[in-house]
Amino acid sequence: MYNDDLEHQLKETFEHEAALHRDRLEGLESRISEELEGRLPKPGFGDLIRDLVAPSKAGRMGQLVVLAATAAVFLIVGGLFLPELSPQLNPAERLAEAGGGVAFGTTVFLVPAPNASEVVLVGSFNNWEATPLADEDLDGIWRVELTLDPGRYEYAFVVDGQWWGQDPAADETVRSYGGYSSVRYIGLAGGDA
Amino acid sequence: MYRLFDEVSLLRASLQGETEAWGEIVARYKDAVFGLCLGFLHNPADAEDITHDAFIRAYENLRRYKLDKKFSTWIFTIASNLCRNRLRHRRYHPVIPPPDEIAGGSDPAVEYARDVRLGQVRKALDQLPYLYRTPLVLRFYNELAYNEIAEILAVPEGTVKTRIHRAKIQLKRIMEKDGLTDHVQR
Repeated sequence: MYNDDLEHQLKETFEHEAALHRDRLEGLESRISEELEGRLPKPGFGDLIRDLVAPSKAGRMGQLVVLAATAAVFLIVGGLFLPELSPQLNPAERLAEAGGGVAFGTTVFLVPAPNASEVVLVGSFNNWEATPLADEDLDGIWRVELTLDPGRYEYAFVVDGQWWGQDPAADETVRSYGGYSSVRYIGLAGGDA
Repeated sequence: MYRLFDEVSLLRASLQGETEAWGEIVARYKDAVFGLCLGFLHNPADAEDITHDAFIRAYENLRRYKLDKKFSTWIFTIASNLCRNRLRHRRYHPVIPPPDEIAGGSDPAVEYARDVRLGQVRKALDQLPYLYRTPLVLRFYNELAYNEIAEILAVPEGTVKTRIHRAKIQLKRIMEKDGLTDHVQR
């Protein structure tokens, strides 16, 4: 078998398969346009900075220069005192020191599943790998405690192999991949502690 | 209305909330994104879902996209990441692979022979690790350069070349073992 044969066969296979199912894409552009109607792309970090420093285009460059100079002065002066002002802190301490958001630490995940034999937690914090829950006192409530850095985390429980993504303790529930996932905001205002 | 617009104009209009302009972007790229997802996952329903989700996410995060970069690379990266997440999700939702479908054609015997042959290539592909299958799809379906594949999969270009090389060797072994070599040579 020659490489060219194989490459040709691969191309033909992928294209043939896509062509077989192309009818699924019928009208996708219209459906997406309608779904997004009235929604704008999320503002980017650059937009926020621009809005802060330059309400008009004419003054933008001058204001950026002033901002850069001010930042440089702060960095130089701050650098002199850095060892005293900012000892090595973990994320929780850093957030607490900054006074932003609510305090946080261990996050508890609970799920009632009295008849289950295995319950695991999967989520964006563990790369969607299984973290087992335990029901040590056999009261039917499975539990695990995790220490998470500040952020937004999607997750779900898997109870005896069944996806269960609507945790009542979640900050919100989102629909993705045809199922539900729960969301917790750790260390952010309005989120979980 | 937007059919004659160039890509950059469409993206600029989309940034202003012109969802019809975004619809034109979807129309231009949906086949490529769908084919990528189907090649990665070999599941038409999943591929359809992810194609939809990829365009929604891309629109939501359009301000992160840099106009001097190729849009195709960006949307393929989003789709590729969603496919990877779907596979993780699938570990807990085993799916039954769809049956091989046979398309109609002018000569049923010829069509049938081709469908069988391609189905066998597909089965061999399914035996490849995901790591090796993905660069093959991007290279031979999406026809991307090695550096673009490297950017999408977030690995060095040398790794892409190595994976494609090894994938081909493995495919040949699988097909020879399963007695499919004759089909491929024909």
